Amino acid sequence: MKLTRPLERVLRVLTADPSAPHYGYDLMKAAKLPSGTLYPMLARLQQEGLVDSEWEAQRPDTGGRPPRKYYRLTGEGLRVARLELAQASRVPARRAGRSATQPAPGGTR
Amino acid sequence: MNRAPSAQRIAEWLIRTACRRLPADVRAEQCREWTAELPAILDDQSIRPSFLRTLRALSFCLGISRTARQLSRSARAGSRRARNSQWRTGAGPARPHGVAVRTIAGLAVWLVIVAGVITLGRMFPDPSHWLLIAALPLAIGFDAFCLADIARAAQVRYLPKWAWVLICLVQCPLGGIMYLSIGHIGRPRPVTPDRGGGRLRRA
Repeated sequence: MKLTRPLERVLRVLTADPSAPHYGYDLMKAAKLPSGTLYPMLARLQQEGLVDSEWEAQRPDTGGRPPRKYYRLTGEGLRVARLELAQASRVPARRAGRSATQPAPGGTR
Repeated sequence: MNRAPSAQRIAEWLIRTACRRLPADVRAEQCREWTAELPAILDDQSIRPSFLRTLRALSFCLGISRTARQLSRSARAGSRRARNSQWRTGAGPARPHGVAVRTIAGLAVWLVIVAGVITLGRMFPDPSHWLLIAALPLAIGFDAFCLADIARAAQVRYLPKWAWVLICLVQCPLGGIMYLSIGHIGRPRPVTPDRGGGRLRRA
């Protein structure tokens, strides 16, 4: 799986509190993604077994709104997400380090 | 609670329309999930003024429509792959929609050929024109080949499939040639180690 920028944002939101359930609009707002990007991604993650979903139990205090579907990382998903995010944060750091040790490429191309 | 019932209704209708593309086994559930998100958007107090919430809900629906298109495409690709491999290995039954479609297509091709031969026979009683008549089945065969190729291809380039079908049909030989040279994506050919040797030997 390739870690794209949107996917990275979603994983960051999901790993911030792995036990907290998120519904779609919640994730959209937290990751600042449009629905057309988020839902295909969730479907893919679910297909790969990294994300689990469950229907909200109908409670009287929800004010009669329809039950939502909540998403949560699976154990495997959490492991993979942490690994990917750690790698992602390491790569720019290395890149930044290299550009710091080398002089700025000024017109030598 | 909900201040814009008409917005809710329009958005629900958009989602239902989008969900129609989805495979039947997931359609109802997806529709329920996405519809359940609407109250949260339409009551989102962080979006002000309130008409922006309606816009947000509509853009949400557009994204849902995109999602549904993508999901149905991947579902179709998956099922087609499974069906094709089954069909090729002979493990499964014949392709479900294949029989009817192929019967109708076959009958249509025969009708066209027979009608064409009869009309041409009337139009050109002179045997010197019969070369043209002989060329016609070739053109039809070529067109049929191109159409079959389009139908079987997982993807074609630059234009949607129906556009290529139209081009092939309208521009009888030229459209097919255009499709094969531009729109056709060949299967990645396995690299044959023989090639380099052949060139060397020739040299």
